[in-house]
Amino acid sequence: MSLEAVARKDFEDAVRSRWLLALSAVFVLLVSAVVYLVRPGEGQTLTTGQLLGSLYIRDALVTTLVPLIALIVAYGAVVGERASGSLKLLLSLPHSRADVVFGKLVGRTAAIAVPIAVGFVLPAFIAAVGPLRLQVGVFVGYVLLTVLLAAAFVAIAVGFSAAVASNRLAIGGAIGLFFLFVPLWGAVQFPLRLYFVVGGAPGWLPISGQQLFAALRLINPTGSFKIIAGEFVSGALFAGGSGEFGLSMEVAAFAMLVAWLLVPPLLGLWRFERADL
Amino acid sequence: MAAIELRGVTKRYGDVTAVRDLDLTVEEGEVFGFLGPNGAGKSTTINVLLDFVRPTEGRAEVLSLDAQADSVAVRERTGVLPEGYDVYDRLTGRRHVEFAMRSKDVDGDPDALLDRVGIADAADRKAGGYSKGMQQRLVLGMALVGDPDLLILDEPSSGLDPTGAKEMRDIVRAEADRGATVFFSSHVLGQVEAVCDRVGIMREGQLVAEDSIEGLRDAAGGEETLVVTVDAADESTVDAVRALDGVSTAASDGGTVTVTCASDAKTRVIATLEEGGVEVKDFTTEEASLEDLFLHYTGDRDADPADRADADDRDEGVSA
Repeated sequence: MSLEAVARKDFEDAVRSRWLLALSAVFVLLVSAVVYLVRPGEGQTLTTGQLLGSLYIRDALVTTLVPLIALIVAYGAVVGERASGSLKLLLSLPHSRADVVFGKLVGRTAAIAVPIAVGFVLPAFIAAVGPLRLQVGVFVGYVLLTVLLAAAFVAIAVGFSAAVASNRLAIGGAIGLFFLFVPLWGAVQFPLRLYFVVGGAPGWLPISGQQLFAALRLINPTGSFKIIAGEFVSGALFAGGSGEFGLSMEVAAFAMLVAWLLVPPLLGLWRFERADL
Repeated sequence: MAAIELRGVTKRYGDVTAVRDLDLTVEEGEVFGFLGPNGAGKSTTINVLLDFVRPTEGRAEVLSLDAQADSVAVRERTGVLPEGYDVYDRLTGRRHVEFAMRSKDVDGDPDALLDRVGIADAADRKAGGYSKGMQQRLVLGMALVGDPDLLILDEPSSGLDPTGAKEMRDIVRAEADRGATVFFSSHVLGQVEAVCDRVGIMREGQLVAEDSIEGLRDAAGGEETLVVTVDAADESTVDAVRALDGVSTAASDGGTVTVTCASDAKTRVIATLEEGGVEVKDFTTEEASLEDLFLHYTGDRDADPADRADADDRDEGVSA
């Protein structure tokens, strides 16, 4: 199958990139360090869920580092090949442009899944020998959710990469999106919460301030991820509102991540289909 | 049946017209040489055939399929060596061929194919470390995957040394003997003469000539150059030669007389020299070279020989 051939080639190519190697090393070291540092004192035990759900891993590491790695690894997926000329080699073979865009999405996501998996396996060993009780199911599930978050950002970067004609625009887009979704979002979240939740939404909007804030939170892929991952780790995901969020919020967060997975590549493809190479 | 059929194809980039109202038919089984100087529109035409670019006007059919709407089906049956490509630096030669095989859904031995294009010993090396000539061989190998019905080769000999260029021509011949149609572009003319059934010459986005090599030669005047080795030729005898019917130029440096003339004037030239008391020791004839034909069609026919020699050097410089 054509898409599979492109994805496989792209995976083989991307996993050999020095960038990916360096970013993986940083990720593995940081996750290991956090797991080592948050180890409880003598005589206490910490569950895996508590560890993963802690702000250290969920906020500081996963939701900043994973989007960054995904954007760096994927921003050049299509436009980089277009600039170098290897896209001509790729499209000389019987692949449609849709095969290229979605093959890239699958291939680059798989390439990032490697450091994510490795990044969590090493700490799992550290956790297993320490006083921490390792729950394999929770651990594996969390890794998969992290890969889903990575895939959403790969999708955004690949979409951008397919839509633009120059590497510079793709880098600019990737950096811009990272700052929008990670540091900027983090900075405005608290003031927005005060403004909308306490002060209420502007009168011309048909929804309440609470709802508006929830919507803004869902739109950001890292926001949706935090909702799902938090519920999953505390065992409350899709458990009928036993956790911090209701079922509808959980479903909405999932739907939002899936939308990020599909909409940017489709928009990018729409432009790419019309482009002269 | 036509392997390639272009009807009224025009491609404009802004106010630059790269290809203008191009009609071209290449029959199945033909080896067609697509000639022209750089920037004449050859690569744009090939890019239309592969759906890398869309024509502003007109219609292109490849293997009786619409080159734009059915591009994937076209490329399933076509092997391509594109122009201005890059290989995947981090992947080995073998992985490149394996990728082409997986893409075309064919089983085969990548090593046998790499051997055929002469880089079997580099199969496990990363293609980023290949020389330009080796990359060209690798991509030719990828184009041959699955015995395609049509081969489209854009400047296939660029980057190849004379041995490599010869091997390229042998492969083109072998593919044509197998029954494949071969369409290749070149500005290195010797390439074309040796392997093509027919050629088309592009100039400023238009096809200015389309014929067999023989036909082109006739059309260009069919003149030959006669080089006569003599003991000593005086100016009055050379004047007598110059005055003959069918002779356009004659010059002597004492030991040799060089004459450009129609082919049926050669015996008269020799006779006139001997009548003038000049001893003819030897003579050779050279047919009008394709280079001359090419310059004739691309509008450079008045260029003096020194300029042409420079142009040759430049061609080699580009292709080296």
